[in-house]
Amino acid sequence: MKFDLNQTITGRVWKFGDSVDSDSINPYYIYPDMKDMVHHTLEAFRPEFPKEVKPGDIIVAGRNFGCGSHRPGPVLRVIGIAAILVESASRLFLRNNIALPLPIFIVPGITAIIDDGQTLEVNYNKGIATNVTTGATAAMRKYPAMIEHIFACGGLPQLARERYLKENSTAD
Amino acid sequence: MQIRKQVAKLGIEHFVDAEPGISHQMMVDRGYARPGELVVGNDSHTVGYGALNVGSTGITRADMLYTLLFGELWFQVPGSIKLVLNGKQPNYPIAKDIILHLAGLYGDDFAQNSSIEFTGSLVPQLSMDSRMCLSTHGVEVAAKFAMFPFDEVTDEYLKDKTDHPYEPIAADADAVYDREIVLNVDEMPFAVAKPHHFGNVFPVSDSAGIKVDQAQIGSCANGRLEDIEIAARMMKGRKVAKGVRFVISPASQMIYLQCIKAGYIETLLEAGVQFVTPGCGICQPKVGYMAEGEVCITATTRNFKGRKGSQKADIYLAGPLTVTAAAVAGRIIDPREVFDEI
Repeated sequence: MKFDLNQTITGRVWKFGDSVDSDSINPYYIYPDMKDMVHHTLEAFRPEFPKEVKPGDIIVAGRNFGCGSHRPGPVLRVIGIAAILVESASRLFLRNNIALPLPIFIVPGITAIIDDGQTLEVNYNKGIATNVTTGATAAMRKYPAMIEHIFACGGLPQLARERYLKENSTAD
Repeated sequence: MQIRKQVAKLGIEHFVDAEPGISHQMMVDRGYARPGELVVGNDSHTVGYGALNVGSTGITRADMLYTLLFGELWFQVPGSIKLVLNGKQPNYPIAKDIILHLAGLYGDDFAQNSSIEFTGSLVPQLSMDSRMCLSTHGVEVAAKFAMFPFDEVTDEYLKDKTDHPYEPIAADADAVYDREIVLNVDEMPFAVAKPHHFGNVFPVSDSAGIKVDQAQIGSCANGRLEDIEIAARMMKGRKVAKGVRFVISPASQMIYLQCIKAGYIETLLEAGVQFVTPGCGICQPKVGYMAEGEVCITATTRNFKGRKGSQKADIYLAGPLTVTAAAVAGRIIDPREVFDEI
């Protein structure tokens, strides 16, 4: 699934604190099947989240989001999370979401401009996240062109496929 | 079955088939990670080979696909943190206390996206087992790399493990660091991380008296010879408290065998300790499932809510000495109150 970074995303915010771990996002030790996991993702931090989350919602969180184990993490995409905006992210969680891809953005100061349940507008092209209710904004960190290209390709496996086919078609 | 077929088809030379154990220990047991190399693996604790002066780090499954296809991968160049450990190594392991203490002081992401370089007067005294505990836990403080210098300890460790040539790496004399952190371990208390995250650290006295249902030693952080040796040394002539499950899982078959040859297993079994097959299970609900309301003190890697079963179980992280003391007393306690000999 290709992802156009330049599209504007608008959605209702679910707000989380610091150091939300990948075990809580992907509780696969207890629920190894995706059909069960969708009913338990992030319940360790907010029990109502898996019951009430809607496709198109946005996650906003504090420092070190996705810390802990390396987990592939498509569950948030399966439940329809439109974007994740965090003060900082664990590097493996960040890599996983870029590889999927699921739009994840590092936005220092994001937790100060928005409350749970408010509507956020995410404009990567302009590099600005805006609280639609209050008008408050936070600057989004831009990715290097190489990572933007992974999003445009539809994830790292797709980029690998394109590169492999390109490099191996001319050899024949 | 699919994996075996692919291994045969592709002629993979190094394939560990049915042998149980933690991949990270098996990698170093076999000399597959060598100083100066860049090594990537599909698990967050891959960072642990930094103990051997290896630039190693965890990557995602998609990253591995890319790496296997092209032999290259994207990285953002990390900044460096100089971690100066000064002081004297006591006659028991303190690596876990060090990293917990640092996470408590500076937060569980103080090394976010950075490369940690360990240095200081303690480093030459640190065993390879302690170094591996510290480097493995690099990821618990969010580091990309967590590297030790190459020295006599590294050289001795690698002697019978590899004949592959390697070239150790060291920091430039004029290297610039984003941050320098100095810790004097002589002044450090025994550290315990309370539920439910690695940075929730206090001196052991703060949790003293909490009754435990389970005590554990194992994982890629603490399933090594010195972790099991200290438990055996302290349990000799003592018994596990009534009602406590004290579970130990050596990190690999090789370590298990070393423990047997050294007599540790017999001592520990006589004391009432139970052993489980080497592997990652001890850090998960698979081994020693925790029921609602139960408390576990563990020398393993993580204490997230639900990590060992019920989300209503409490997991405390500590070093192997503090875990052993709790297993004897049946409650969390300063090891010096249980073991006069230390």
